[in-house]
Amino acid sequence: MGSRASTTVPEESHGALSIRNVSKIYDPEGLNVLAVDRCSFEIGAGEVCMVVGPSGCGKTTLLNAIAGFHSITSGEIRMDGKLLCGSEKPLAEQGADRVVVFQNGALFPWMTLADNVAYGPVVQGRLSKREARDKAEQMLAEAGLGDFTEKFPGEISSGMARRAEVVRAIINDPKILLLDEPYRGMDALTKSIMHETLLDIYDRTGVTIFFITHDLEEAVFLGDHVVVMATRPARVKRTVNVNIPRPRDFHVRTSETFRQLMAEIRGAVDEEARKAFEAGERELA
Amino acid sequence: MSDAATAMNSPPKGASLIRYRAKRMLRGTPLYLGVAGIAVWLITYWLFDEVWELPRFEKIPGPVTVFSELISRDPFQGVSFFTLELYRDIYLSCRRILFAFLIATGVGVPLGLLMGWSTRFRHYTFPILETLRPIPIMAWIPLAILMFKGFETPVIFLATLASLFVTTLNTLLGVDSIDQSYFRAARCLGAKPRDIFLHVVVPGALPFIFTGLQISVGVAWFSLVAAEMVSGDGGLGYLIVDSYMNNVTVPMVIGMLTLGFVGWITSALVRMLGNRLMQWRVRGLAMQGR
Repeated sequence: MGSRASTTVPEESHGALSIRNVSKIYDPEGLNVLAVDRCSFEIGAGEVCMVVGPSGCGKTTLLNAIAGFHSITSGEIRMDGKLLCGSEKPLAEQGADRVVVFQNGALFPWMTLADNVAYGPVVQGRLSKREARDKAEQMLAEAGLGDFTEKFPGEISSGMARRAEVVRAIINDPKILLLDEPYRGMDALTKSIMHETLLDIYDRTGVTIFFITHDLEEAVFLGDHVVVMATRPARVKRTVNVNIPRPRDFHVRTSETFRQLMAEIRGAVDEEARKAFEAGERELA
Repeated sequence: MSDAATAMNSPPKGASLIRYRAKRMLRGTPLYLGVAGIAVWLITYWLFDEVWELPRFEKIPGPVTVFSELISRDPFQGVSFFTLELYRDIYLSCRRILFAFLIATGVGVPLGLLMGWSTRFRHYTFPILETLRPIPIMAWIPLAILMFKGFETPVIFLATLASLFVTTLNTLLGVDSIDQSYFRAARCLGAKPRDIFLHVVVPGALPFIFTGLQISVGVAWFSLVAAEMVSGDGGLGYLIVDSYMNNVTVPMVIGMLTLGFVGWITSALVRMLGNRLMQWRVRGLAMQGR
Protein backbone atom coordinates (compact mmCIF):
# COMPACT_ATOMS: atom_id res chain seq x y z
CA MET A 1 0.00 0.00 0.00
CA GLY A 2 1.19 3.46 -0.84
CA SER A 3 2.82 5.65 1.73
CA ARG A 4 1.72 9.09 2.63
CA ALA A 5 2.67 12.02 0.47
CA SER A 6 3.78 14.57 3.01
CA THR A 7 6.95 16.57 3.28
CA THR A 8 6.75 16.95 7.06
CA VAL A 9 7.57 13.31 7.72
CA PRO A 10 11.15 12.97 8.96
CA GLU A 11 13.33 10.71 6.80
CA GLU A 12 14.29 8.33 9.60
CA SER A 13 10.72 7.83 10.77
CA HIS A 14 9.78 4.31 9.86
CA GLY A 15 7.23 2.04 11.37
CA ALA A 16 6.09 -0.20 8.55
CA LEU A 17 4.29 -3.13 10.08
CA SER A 18 3.81 -6.47 8.48
CA ILE A 19 1.40 -8.95 10.00
CA ARG A 20 1.71 -12.33 8.33
CA ASN A 21 -0.50 -15.32 8.96
CA VAL A 22 -0.84 -14.53 12.64
CA SER A 23 -2.95 -16.91 14.71
CA LYS A 24 -3.59 -16.85 18.40
CA ILE A 25 -5.05 -19.68 20.43
CA TYR A 26 -5.87 -18.90 24.04
CA ASP A 27 -5.26 -21.68 26.50
CA PRO A 28 -3.85 -24.23 24.02
CA GLU A 29 -4.08 -27.10 26.54
CA GLY A 30 -7.59 -26.42 27.68
CA LEU A 31 -10.40 -24.79 25.81
CA ASN A 32 -8.51 -23.99 22.65
CA VAL A 33 -10.20 -20.76 21.85
CA LEU A 34 -9.04 -19.58 18.46
CA ALA A 35 -9.03 -15.80 18.81
CA VAL A 36 -7.14 -14.79 15.68
CA ASP A 37 -7.04 -16.96 12.59
CA ARG A 38 -4.29 -16.51 9.98
CA CYS A 39 -4.52 -12.79 9.92
CA SER A 40 -2.39 -10.94 7.38
CA PHE A 41 -2.07 -7.31 6.43
CA GLU A 42 0.55 -4.68 5.82
CA ILE A 43 0.77 -1.17 7.17
CA GLY A 44 3.14 1.16 5.33
CA ALA A 45 5.42 3.51 7.25
CA GLY A 46 3.50 6.60 8.27
CA GLU A 47 0.11 5.20 7.44
CA VAL A 48 -3.00 5.29 9.56
CA CYS A 49 -4.52 1.84 9.71
CA MET A 50 -7.96 1.60 11.25
CA VAL A 51 -9.10 -1.82 12.40
CA VAL A 52 -12.84 -2.30 12.78
CA GLY A 53 -14.83 -5.36 13.68
CA PRO A 54 -17.43 -6.63 16.10
CA SER A 55 -16.82 -6.62 19.84
CA GLY A 56 -14.61 -9.38 21.06
CA CYS A 57 -13.45 -10.40 17.60
CA GLY A 58 -9.79 -10.40 18.55
CA LYS A 59 -8.68 -6.94 17.49
CA THR A 60 -7.17 -6.23 20.88
CA THR A 61 -5.42 -9.60 20.80
CA LEU A 62 -3.63 -8.42 17.70
CA LEU A 63 -2.69 -5.13 19.33
CA ASN A 64 -1.43 -6.95 22.41
CA ALA A 65 0.76 -9.12 20.21
CA ILE A 66 2.29 -6.08 18.50
CA ALA A 67 2.86 -4.33 21.84
CA GLY A 68 4.36 -7.45 23.39
CA PHE A 69 1.70 -7.96 26.06
CA HIS A 70 0.61 -11.35 24.70
CA SER A 71 2.33 -14.03 22.66
CA ILE A 72 1.13 -15.29 19.31
CA THR A 73 0.63 -18.95 18.48
CA SER A 74 1.82 -18.93 14.88
CA GLY A 75 2.72 -16.56 12.07
CA GLU A 76 4.93 -13.54 12.47
CA ILE A 77 4.85 -9.80 12.95
CA ARG A 78 7.65 -7.65 11.58
CA MET A 79 8.37 -3.99 11.99
CA ASP A 80 10.55 -2.41 9.30
CA GLY A 81 11.54 -5.92 8.29
CA LYS A 82 12.76 -6.80 11.78
CA LEU A 83 11.04 -9.68 13.52
CA LEU A 84 8.93 -8.59 16.49
CA CYS A 85 7.42 -11.97 17.16
CA GLY A 86 7.19 -15.24 15.29
CA SER A 87 7.21 -18.95 15.81
CA GLU A 88 10.60 -19.04 17.58
CA LYS A 89 9.91 -15.95 19.63
CA PRO A 90 6.18 -15.86 20.31
CA LEU A 91 6.28 -12.84 22.62
CA ALA A 92 7.53 -9.51 21.30
CA GLU A 93 9.75 -7.41 23.53
CA GLN A 94 8.03 -4.35 24.90
CA GLY A 95 9.56 -1.09 23.96
CA ALA A 96 8.97 2.59 23.55
CA ASP A 97 9.05 2.27 19.75
CA ARG A 98 5.47 0.94 20.00
CA VAL A 99 3.50 2.91 22.53
CA VAL A 100 -0.07 2.00 23.45
CA VAL A 101 -2.91 4.36 24.30
CA PHE A 102 -5.28 2.26 26.35
CA GLN A 103 -9.01 1.72 26.11
CA ASN A 104 -9.73 3.04 29.58
CA GLY A 105 -6.84 5.44 29.80
CA ALA A 106 -3.69 4.69 31.72
CA LEU A 107 -2.21 8.00 32.74
CA PHE A 108 -0.65 7.40 36.14
CA PRO A 109 -3.14 9.02 38.53
CA TRP A 110 -0.36 9.78 41.02
CA MET A 111 1.61 11.97 38.61
CA THR A 112 0.75 15.38 37.21
CA LEU A 113 0.23 15.60 33.45
CA ALA A 114 3.72 17.04 32.97
CA ASP A 115 5.29 14.23 35.01
CA ASN A 116 3.25 11.66 33.14
CA VAL A 117 4.42 12.97 29.78
CA ALA A 118 8.01 13.32 30.95
CA TYR A 119 8.03 9.78 32.34
CA GLY A 120 9.10 7.93 29.18
CA PRO A 121 12.19 9.98 28.31
CA VAL A 122 13.30 10.07 31.96
CA VAL A 123 12.89 6.38 32.63
CA GLN A 124 14.66 5.49 29.40
CA GLY A 125 17.49 7.80 30.40
CA ARG A 126 17.20 9.76 27.16
CA LEU A 127 16.64 13.13 28.82
CA SER A 128 17.36 14.58 32.22
CA LYS A 129 14.38 15.18 34.45
CA ARG A 130 14.58 18.89 33.80
CA GLU A 131 14.84 18.59 30.01
CA ALA A 132 12.05 16.05 29.89
CA ARG A 133 9.77 18.28 31.94
CA ASP A 134 10.49 21.27 29.73
CA LYS A 135 9.75 19.24 26.64
CA ALA A 136 6.64 17.76 28.23
CA GLU A 137 5.30 21.18 29.13
CA GLN A 138 5.96 22.46 25.65
CA MET A 139 4.28 19.47 24.01
CA LEU A 140 1.28 19.68 26.33
CA ALA A 141 0.95 23.36 25.46
CA GLU A 142 1.01 22.48 21.76
CA ALA A 143 -1.83 20.06 22.38
CA GLY A 144 -3.83 22.80 24.11
CA LEU A 145 -3.12 21.51 27.62
CA GLY A 146 -0.75 24.27 28.68
CA ASP A 147 -2.94 25.26 31.63
CA PHE A 148 -3.18 21.75 32.95
CA THR A 149 0.44 20.62 33.21
CA GLU A 150 0.34 20.58 37.01
CA LYS A 151 -3.06 18.92 37.24
CA PHE A 152 -3.52 15.30 38.18
CA PRO A 153 -5.45 13.04 35.78
CA GLY A 154 -8.29 12.79 38.30
CA GLU A 155 -8.87 16.51 38.01
CA ILE A 156 -9.39 16.77 34.25
CA SER A 157 -11.97 15.49 31.78
CA SER A 158 -11.54 12.16 30.07
CA GLY A 159 -11.08 13.91 26.74
CA MET A 160 -8.18 15.94 28.07
CA ALA A 161 -6.73 12.88 29.75
CA ARG A 162 -6.79 10.96 26.51
CA ARG A 163 -5.17 13.83 24.69
CA ALA A 164 -2.43 13.95 27.32
CA GLU A 165 -1.98 10.23 26.94
CA VAL A 166 -1.34 10.63 23.22
CA VAL A 167 1.22 13.32 24.05
CA ARG A 168 2.83 10.95 26.57
CA ALA A 169 3.18 8.41 23.78
CA ILE A 170 4.40 10.82 21.11
CA ILE A 171 7.18 12.36 23.24
CA ASN A 172 9.05 9.06 22.88
CA ASP A 173 9.14 9.37 19.07
CA PRO A 174 7.58 5.96 18.68
CA LYS A 175 7.63 4.28 15.29
CA ILE A 176 4.07 3.21 15.75
CA LEU A 177 1.24 4.39 17.92
CA LEU A 178 -1.18 1.68 19.03
CA LEU A 179 -4.58 2.99 20.02
CA ASP A 180 -7.17 0.65 21.47
CA GLU A 181 -10.56 2.34 21.14
CA PRO A 182 -9.23 5.41 22.88
CA TYR A 183 -12.35 7.52 22.36
CA ARG A 184 -14.90 4.91 23.30
CA GLY A 185 -17.83 6.33 25.21
CA MET A 186 -17.15 9.95 24.35
CA ASP A 187 -19.86 12.13 22.95
CA ALA A 188 -19.70 12.96 19.25
CA LEU A 189 -18.57 16.56 19.77
CA THR A 190 -15.71 15.67 22.10
CA LYS A 191 -14.78 12.89 19.74
CA SER A 192 -14.44 15.20 16.78
CA ILE A 193 -12.19 17.50 18.83
CA MET A 194 -10.11 14.44 19.76
CA HIS A 195 -9.85 13.51 16.10
CA GLU A 196 -8.59 16.95 15.18
CA THR A 197 -5.91 16.78 17.87
CA LEU A 198 -4.83 13.36 16.75
CA LEU A 199 -4.69 14.37 13.09
CA ASP A 200 -2.74 17.46 14.06
CA ILE A 201 -0.19 15.33 15.90
CA TYR A 202 -0.12 12.91 13.00
CA ASP A 203 0.49 15.65 10.46
CA ARG A 204 3.39 16.93 12.52
CA THR A 205 5.05 13.61 13.33
CA GLY A 206 4.05 11.22 10.57
CA VAL A 207 3.96 8.37 13.06
CA THR A 208 2.42 5.11 11.91
CA ILE A 209 -0.93 4.56 13.60
CA PHE A 210 -2.67 1.29 14.40
CA PHE A 211 -6.10 2.27 15.62
CA ILE A 212 -8.83 -0.08 16.84
CA THR A 213 -12.38 1.24 16.79
CA HIS A 214 -16.04 0.39 16.55
CA ASP A 215 -16.90 3.75 15.14
CA LEU A 216 -17.03 3.53 11.35
CA GLU A 217 -17.17 7.27 10.86
CA GLU A 218 -14.05 7.62 12.97
CA ALA A 219 -12.42 4.89 10.91
CA VAL A 220 -13.07 6.60 7.58
CA PHE A 221 -12.28 10.08 8.85
CA LEU A 222 -8.89 9.17 10.31
CA GLY A 223 -7.68 6.23 8.26
CA ASP A 224 -5.60 5.69 5.16
CA HIS A 225 -7.18 2.32 5.04
CA VAL A 226 -9.72 0.45 7.06
CA VAL A 227 -9.26 -3.22 7.84
CA VAL A 228 -12.57 -4.94 8.50
CA MET A 229 -12.21 -7.99 10.70
CA ALA A 230 -14.51 -10.98 10.65
CA THR A 231 -15.99 -12.12 13.92
CA ARG A 232 -14.12 -14.60 16.06
CA PRO A 233 -11.80 -16.07 15.07
CA ALA A 234 -10.56 -12.78 13.71
CA ARG A 235 -9.66 -12.86 10.04
CA VAL A 236 -9.28 -9.97 7.66
CA LYS A 237 -12.58 -9.77 5.89
CA ARG A 238 -11.62 -6.94 3.61
CA THR A 239 -9.49 -3.85 3.40
CA VAL A 240 -10.91 -0.56 2.20
CA ASN A 241 -8.60 2.23 1.05
CA VAL A 242 -9.66 5.71 2.01
CA ASN A 243 -8.70 8.00 -0.84
CA ILE A 244 -9.47 11.29 0.83
CA PRO A 245 -6.61 13.78 0.69
CA ARG A 246 -5.02 15.18 3.84
CA PRO A 247 -5.15 17.42 5.74
CA ARG A 248 -8.75 16.54 6.46
CA ASP A 249 -11.24 18.61 8.39
CA PHE A 250 -14.85 18.15 9.38
CA HIS A 251 -16.10 19.10 5.90
CA VAL A 252 -14.83 15.74 4.72
CA ARG A 253 -17.52 14.04 6.79
CA THR A 254 -20.29 15.39 4.60
CA SER A 255 -18.66 14.59 1.24
CA GLU A 256 -19.98 12.04 -1.21
CA THR A 257 -16.79 9.95 -1.15
CA PHE A 258 -17.04 9.76 2.60
CA ARG A 259 -20.60 8.51 2.44
CA GLN A 260 -19.79 5.90 -0.14
CA LEU A 261 -16.87 4.60 1.91
CA MET A 262 -19.04 4.47 5.01
CA ALA A 263 -21.67 2.49 3.16
CA GLU A 264 -19.09 0.07 1.83
CA ILE A 265 -17.58 -0.59 5.25
CA ARG A 266 -20.93 -0.72 6.99
CA GLY A 267 -22.03 -3.49 4.65
CA ALA A 268 -18.99 -5.56 5.54
CA VAL A 269 -19.14 -4.91 9.27
CA ASP A 270 -22.87 -5.36 9.78
CA GLU A 271 -22.84 -8.92 8.61
CA GLU A 272 -20.05 -9.76 11.06
CA ALA A 273 -21.64 -7.87 13.89
CA ARG A 274 -24.83 -9.85 13.41
CA LYS A 275 -22.92 -13.11 13.46
CA ALA A 276 -21.05 -12.08 16.59
CA PHE A 277 -24.22 -11.01 18.31
CA GLU A 278 -25.99 -14.24 17.51
CA ALA A 279 -23.01 -16.27 18.70
CA GLY A 280 -23.24 -14.28 21.94
CA GLU A 281 -19.54 -14.48 22.49
CA ARG A 282 -17.88 -12.95 25.47
CA GLU A 283 -15.06 -10.55 24.84
CA LEU A 284 -11.58 -11.91 25.12
CA ALA A 285 -8.83 -10.05 26.87
CA MET B 1 -8.53 29.87 28.20
CA SER B 2 -11.09 32.34 29.48
CA ASP B 3 -10.52 34.60 32.48
CA ALA B 4 -12.99 32.75 34.63
CA ALA B 5 -11.25 29.46 33.98
CA THR B 6 -7.84 30.95 34.71
CA ALA B 7 -9.12 32.36 37.98
CA MET B 8 -10.43 28.94 38.92
CA ASN B 9 -7.12 27.34 38.19
CA SER B 10 -5.09 29.57 40.45
CA PRO B 11 -5.56 28.38 44.02
CA PRO B 12 -6.23 30.94 46.79
CA LYS B 13 -3.21 32.18 48.74
CA GLY B 14 -2.50 33.87 52.08
CA ALA B 15 -5.42 35.34 53.97
CA SER B 16 -7.97 34.26 51.41
CA LEU B 17 -6.70 30.70 51.72
CA ILE B 18 -7.16 30.75 55.50
CA ARG B 19 -10.63 32.25 55.07
CA TYR B 20 -11.45 29.60 52.50
CA ARG B 21 -10.28 26.81 54.78
CA ALA B 22 -12.17 28.15 57.79
CA LYS B 23 -15.32 28.42 55.71
CA ARG B 24 -14.87 24.92 54.42
CA MET B 25 -14.35 23.56 57.89
CA LEU B 26 -17.54 25.12 59.14
CA ARG B 27 -19.57 24.25 56.10
CA GLY B 28 -17.90 21.15 54.72
CA THR B 29 -17.16 19.08 57.79
CA PRO B 30 -20.24 19.29 59.99
CA LEU B 31 -18.42 19.82 63.25
CA TYR B 32 -21.60 20.65 65.09
CA LEU B 33 -23.00 17.18 64.29
CA GLY B 34 -20.03 15.59 66.05
CA VAL B 35 -20.49 17.89 69.04
CA ALA B 36 -24.21 17.16 69.14
CA GLY B 37 -23.53 13.41 68.94
CA ILE B 38 -21.18 13.56 71.91
CA ALA B 39 -23.66 15.73 73.83
CA VAL B 40 -26.51 13.26 73.27
CA TRP B 41 -24.31 10.43 74.48
CA LEU B 42 -23.16 12.36 77.58
CA ILE B 43 -26.68 13.40 78.47
CA THR B 44 -27.98 9.84 78.14
CA TYR B 45 -25.13 8.57 80.28
CA TRP B 46 -25.81 11.29 82.84
CA LEU B 47 -29.58 10.60 82.94
CA PHE B 48 -29.14 6.84 83.29
CA ASP B 49 -26.45 7.06 85.90
CA GLU B 50 -26.88 10.17 87.97
CA VAL B 51 -30.47 11.29 87.52
CA TRP B 52 -32.52 8.11 87.26
CA GLU B 53 -29.88 5.94 88.94
CA LEU B 54 -30.80 2.86 86.92
CA PRO B 55 -29.84 -0.43 88.62
CA ARG B 56 -27.10 -1.46 86.14
CA PHE B 57 -25.28 1.82 86.63
CA GLU B 58 -25.13 1.96 90.39
CA LYS B 59 -21.41 1.08 90.59
CA ILE B 60 -20.41 3.21 87.63
CA PRO B 61 -19.29 6.81 88.17
CA GLY B 62 -21.43 9.29 86.27
CA PRO B 63 -20.19 12.01 83.94
CA VAL B 64 -20.53 14.76 86.50
CA THR B 65 -18.49 12.80 89.05
CA VAL B 66 -15.85 11.95 86.46
CA PHE B 67 -15.68 15.50 85.15
CA SER B 68 -15.43 17.14 88.58
CA GLU B 69 -12.70 14.66 89.51
CA LEU B 70 -10.93 15.37 86.22
CA ILE B 71 -10.73 19.12 86.86
CA SER B 72 -9.99 18.84 90.55
CA ARG B 73 -6.55 20.00 91.72
CA ASP B 74 -6.65 17.46 94.46
CA PRO B 75 -8.52 14.45 93.03
CA PHE B 76 -10.18 12.19 95.53
CA GLN B 77 -9.27 9.00 93.65
CA GLY B 78 -5.82 10.12 92.54
CA VAL B 79 -6.06 10.93 88.81
CA SER B 80 -6.97 14.23 87.14
CA PHE B 81 -5.68 16.80 84.67
CA PHE B 82 -3.55 18.14 87.49
CA THR B 83 -1.77 14.92 88.42
CA LEU B 84 1.45 13.93 86.76
CA GLU B 85 0.37 10.32 86.73
CA LEU B 86 -2.14 10.82 83.92
CA TYR B 87 0.47 12.42 81.67
CA ARG B 88 3.00 9.75 82.50
CA ASP B 89 0.52 7.08 81.46
CA ILE B 90 -0.34 8.92 78.24
CA TYR B 91 3.35 9.37 77.50
CA LEU B 92 4.20 5.73 78.17
CA SER B 93 1.37 4.44 76.01
CA CYS B 94 2.09 6.87 73.19
CA ARG B 95 5.76 5.94 73.18
CA ARG B 96 4.91 2.25 72.98
CA ILE B 97 2.42 2.92 70.20
CA LEU B 98 4.98 4.95 68.31
CA PHE B 99 7.57 2.18 68.43
CA ALA B 100 5.03 -0.51 67.62
CA PHE B 101 3.56 1.49 64.75
CA LEU B 102 6.96 2.33 63.28
CA ILE B 103 8.14 -1.27 63.46
CA ALA B 104 4.88 -2.61 62.06
CA THR B 105 4.94 -0.09 59.21
CA GLY B 106 8.66 -0.50 58.53
CA VAL B 107 8.31 -4.25 58.26
CA GLY B 108 4.71 -4.60 57.05
CA VAL B 109 4.75 -2.20 54.10
CA PRO B 110 7.90 -3.59 52.42
CA LEU B 111 6.73 -7.12 53.16
CA GLY B 112 3.32 -6.48 51.63
CA LEU B 113 4.84 -4.72 48.60
CA LEU B 114 7.18 -7.65 47.98
CA MET B 115 4.38 -10.14 48.41
CA GLY B 116 2.27 -8.25 45.92
CA TRP B 117 5.17 -7.75 43.53
CA SER B 118 6.57 -11.27 43.42
CA THR B 119 4.24 -14.24 43.15
CA ARG B 120 7.07 -16.52 44.22
CA PHE B 121 7.67 -14.56 47.39
CA ARG B 122 3.96 -14.52 48.09
CA HIS B 123 3.74 -18.29 47.83
CA TYR B 124 6.58 -18.59 50.33
CA THR B 125 5.21 -16.21 52.91
CA PHE B 126 1.44 -16.23 52.64
CA PRO B 127 0.83 -19.52 54.51
CA ILE B 128 2.90 -18.35 57.48
CA LEU B 129 1.11 -15.03 57.57
CA GLU B 130 -2.30 -16.64 57.41
CA THR B 131 -1.43 -19.15 60.15
CA LEU B 132 -0.13 -16.55 62.57
CA ARG B 133 -2.77 -13.93 61.88
CA PRO B 134 -5.79 -15.54 63.62
CA ILE B 135 -3.90 -16.10 66.89
CA PRO B 136 -5.29 -13.52 69.31
CA ILE B 137 -2.95 -11.11 71.05
CA MET B 138 -3.94 -12.48 74.45
CA ALA B 139 -2.56 -15.85 73.38
CA TRP B 140 0.81 -14.32 72.57
CA ILE B 141 1.22 -12.76 76.02
CA PRO B 142 2.94 -15.71 77.78
CA LEU B 143 5.27 -16.17 74.83
CA ALA B 144 6.10 -12.47 74.79
CA ILE B 145 6.95 -12.52 78.48
CA LEU B 146 9.13 -15.59 78.05
CA MET B 147 10.91 -14.20 74.99
CA PHE B 148 11.57 -10.61 76.05
CA LYS B 149 13.06 -9.07 79.12
CA GLY B 150 11.67 -6.19 81.13
CA PHE B 151 8.30 -4.48 80.83
CA GLU B 152 8.69 -2.49 77.65
CA THR B 153 9.78 -4.95 75.00
CA PRO B 154 7.04 -7.57 75.48
CA VAL B 155 4.41 -4.83 75.41
CA ILE B 156 5.83 -3.30 72.25
CA PHE B 157 6.14 -6.73 70.67
CA LEU B 158 2.48 -7.48 71.34
CA ALA B 159 1.31 -4.11 70.05
CA THR B 160 3.43 -4.52 66.92
CA LEU B 161 2.18 -7.96 66.09
CA ALA B 162 -1.45 -7.20 65.35
CA SER B 163 -0.62 -4.03 63.42
CA LEU B 164 1.95 -5.87 61.38
CA PHE B 165 -0.62 -8.28 59.99
CA VAL B 166 -3.07 -5.52 59.15
CA THR B 167 -0.42 -3.42 57.44
CA THR B 168 1.02 -6.30 55.46
CA LEU B 169 -2.31 -7.57 54.26
CA ASN B 170 -3.58 -4.14 53.25
CA THR B 171 -0.38 -3.37 51.39
CA LEU B 172 -0.67 -6.68 49.56
CA LEU B 173 -4.27 -5.90 48.61
CA GLY B 174 -3.12 -2.46 47.52
CA VAL B 175 -0.66 -3.94 45.04
CA ASP B 176 -3.32 -6.36 43.80
CA SER B 177 -5.73 -3.50 43.26
CA ILE B 178 -3.49 -1.69 40.76
CA ASP B 179 -4.95 -1.79 37.25
CA GLN B 180 -2.89 -3.95 34.88
CA SER B 181 -2.84 -1.21 32.27
CA TYR B 182 -0.57 0.94 34.49
CA PHE B 183 2.02 -1.83 34.46
CA ARG B 184 1.67 -2.19 30.72
CA ALA B 185 1.84 1.54 30.14
CA ALA B 186 4.99 1.79 32.25
CA ARG B 187 6.65 -1.06 30.36
CA CYS B 188 5.63 0.48 27.04
CA LEU B 189 7.29 3.71 28.08
CA GLY B 190 10.52 1.86 28.78
CA ALA B 191 10.33 1.27 32.54
CA LYS B 192 12.53 -1.49 33.97
CA PRO B 193 11.23 -3.71 36.80
CA ARG B 194 12.88 -1.48 39.37
CA ASP B 195 11.19 1.61 37.91
CA ILE B 196 7.86 -0.17 37.88
CA PHE B 197 8.27 -1.06 41.53
CA LEU B 198 9.08 2.51 42.52
CA HIS B 199 6.77 4.38 40.18
CA VAL B 200 3.77 2.07 39.82
CA VAL B 201 3.65 -0.45 42.66
CA VAL B 202 4.46 1.91 45.52
CA PRO B 203 2.28 4.90 44.57
CA GLY B 204 -0.48 2.66 43.24
CA ALA B 205 -0.71 0.77 46.52
CA LEU B 206 -0.53 3.91 48.65
CA PRO B 207 -4.31 4.45 49.10
CA PHE B 208 -4.69 0.91 50.47
CA ILE B 209 -1.52 1.23 52.52
CA PHE B 210 -2.90 4.27 54.29
CA THR B 211 -6.27 2.69 54.87
CA GLY B 212 -4.30 -0.17 56.39
CA LEU B 213 -2.21 2.16 58.53
CA GLN B 214 -5.29 3.84 59.96
CA ILE B 215 -6.66 0.46 60.97
CA SER B 216 -3.26 -0.66 62.14
CA VAL B 217 -2.80 2.24 64.53
CA GLY B 218 -6.20 1.46 66.05
CA VAL B 219 -5.33 -2.22 66.34
CA ALA B 220 -2.05 -1.26 67.97
CA TRP B 221 -4.05 0.57 70.63
CA PHE B 222 -6.23 -2.37 71.50
CA SER B 223 -3.41 -4.84 71.62
CA LEU B 224 -1.34 -2.39 73.64
CA VAL B 225 -4.04 -2.15 76.25
CA ALA B 226 -4.34 -5.94 76.41
CA ALA B 227 -0.57 -6.17 76.82
CA GLU B 228 -0.36 -3.43 79.43
CA MET B 229 -3.13 -5.03 81.42
CA VAL B 230 -1.06 -8.15 81.85
CA SER B 231 2.57 -7.25 81.83
CA GLY B 232 2.71 -3.49 81.79
CA ASP B 233 4.20 -0.97 84.10
CA GLY B 234 2.27 2.25 83.64
CA GLY B 235 0.38 3.26 80.55
CA LEU B 236 -3.33 3.87 79.98
CA GLY B 237 -4.21 0.16 79.80
CA TYR B 238 -2.42 -0.35 83.06
CA LEU B 239 -4.24 2.61 84.59
CA ILE B 240 -7.61 1.08 83.68
CA VAL B 241 -6.86 -2.36 85.09
CA ASP B 242 -4.98 -1.10 88.10
CA SER B 243 -7.87 1.21 89.05
CA TYR B 244 -10.33 -1.62 88.70
CA MET B 245 -8.18 -3.88 90.88
CA ASN B 246 -8.00 -1.17 93.53
CA ASN B 247 -11.70 -0.49 93.30
CA VAL B 248 -11.32 3.13 92.22
CA THR B 249 -13.74 3.44 89.35
CA VAL B 250 -13.29 7.11 88.46
CA PRO B 251 -9.68 6.80 87.24
CA MET B 252 -10.81 3.71 85.32
CA VAL B 253 -13.31 5.75 83.34
CA ILE B 254 -10.81 8.60 82.97
CA GLY B 255 -8.32 6.08 81.58
CA MET B 256 -10.86 4.77 79.08
CA LEU B 257 -11.88 8.18 77.83
CA THR B 258 -8.31 9.42 77.56
CA LEU B 259 -7.32 6.32 75.66
CA GLY B 260 -10.18 6.75 73.23
CA PHE B 261 -9.33 10.37 72.65
CA VAL B 262 -5.59 9.83 72.19
CA GLY B 263 -6.32 6.91 69.88
CA TRP B 264 -8.56 9.09 67.79
CA ILE B 265 -5.82 11.73 67.50
CA THR B 266 -3.30 9.13 66.33
CA SER B 267 -5.55 7.87 63.54
CA ALA B 268 -6.29 11.45 62.54
CA LEU B 269 -2.55 12.08 62.27
CA VAL B 270 -2.11 9.04 60.06
CA ARG B 271 -4.99 10.20 57.88
CA MET B 272 -3.48 13.66 57.57
CA LEU B 273 -0.13 12.23 56.56
CA GLY B 274 -1.84 10.08 53.97
CA ASN B 275 -3.69 13.04 52.49
CA ARG B 276 -0.46 14.97 52.31
CA LEU B 277 1.29 12.18 50.47
CA MET B 278 -1.62 11.52 48.14
CA GLN B 279 -2.54 14.95 46.83
CA TRP B 280 -3.46 13.31 43.54
CA ARG B 281 -6.15 11.33 45.29
CA VAL B 282 -7.43 14.15 47.47
CA ARG B 283 -7.70 16.45 44.46
CA GLY B 284 -9.32 13.78 42.32
CA LEU B 285 -11.93 13.04 44.98
CA ALA B 286 -12.54 16.75 45.46
CA MET B 287 -13.49 16.96 41.78
CA GLN B 288 -16.16 14.37 42.45
CA GLY B 289 -17.45 16.58 45.25
CA ARG B 290 -16.10 14.41 48.05
